[in-house]
Amino acid sequence: MNSINQNPDRLEHALQDALRREDAPENFAANVLTRVAGKSAETEPQHSWLSIFSRPLLRWAAFAAVSTCLALGGIHYLHLQRERAQGEAAKQQLMLALRIAGTKLQLAKSKVNEINTSRPQSQPENRTPRSRS
Amino acid sequence: MSTKIRKLFPIILLLVVPCVLRAQDIKLPPDIESLSAKAKETVEVNMDGPMLRWASKFLSKEDPEEKEAAKLVENLKSIYVRSYEFTDEKAYSTAEVESLRSQFRSPTWSRVVGVRSEHDGENVDVFFRMEDEKMAGIVIISAEPKELTFVNIVGPIEIDQLADLGGEFGIPRLKTRPPSSKPLAKADKGDQK
Repeated sequence: MNSINQNPDRLEHALQDALRREDAPENFAANVLTRVAGKSAETEPQHSWLSIFSRPLLRWAAFAAVSTCLALGGIHYLHLQRERAQGEAAKQQLMLALRIAGTKLQLAKSKVNEINTSRPQSQPENRTPRSRS
Repeated sequence: MSTKIRKLFPIILLLVVPCVLRAQDIKLPPDIESLSAKAKETVEVNMDGPMLRWASKFLSKEDPEEKEAAKLVENLKSIYVRSYEFTDEKAYSTAEVESLRSQFRSPTWSRVVGVRSEHDGENVDVFFRMEDEKMAGIVIISAEPKELTFVNIVGPIEIDQLADLGGEFGIPRLKTRPPSSKPLAKADKGDQK
């Protein structure tokens, strides 16, 4: 440093050497442009899938699809409810039929038992195999 | 097209008629069917195979009575019940009931129980239908002064289980009266006609 300060010519040479014009390397401009393009692509914000609804036609189509699904679901639910109600009514009918049948069968059994228990006391001599149960 | 139908008509008739006749095997006399007009309360249950299967799907598996009922109807083909309750006695004639009973005096049916009670007027008939020594159906005709009941169950059924169900569903079991000095009813059991 001191030698340069002491000799102004050397300083001038050094400066000329450092600031001399040099041509850019080959493909420099292309490389710069490619890098810039890559960086801008990385920094660009990604579009959400919801952005598809920004189109009016798709928005209406989605609305129609959701409405149809809801309507079909509602109809199916009502159908299930109705089917369940009818099934419950059929079950009640079945139980009623079995109850009536069972009760009448018990009535027959009780009548037969009644006769069986009463006959040996009153008419033991008249008992026939046919009247026994 | 019409000639084809004409040719097929006898075959269709042959296929359809037995089914119709089978379905109409047991006819309730029209007089008895018309009793619903006079009845205070009427119960009419008509359940065929698919209906029975469907109804039994709704029987609870947790409820013991419904579980028993599901087991009972598992192999049944149909259940028909007519029950009429009247305010006054003699709302129906004995001839009407007799015409109903007479339908079961055939070789296919066995009259297993026949109770005639002069004391309280409760008459019960139980008929079994046997096929290949197996129970294929049961008919119960219960004629009481103010009530007439007809039950027809088609298919194999456990009689004891069915009778057990009669005491359930909140209805108390019928109790036998204590033995009295006088016989109250006449009963036939095992009488086959």
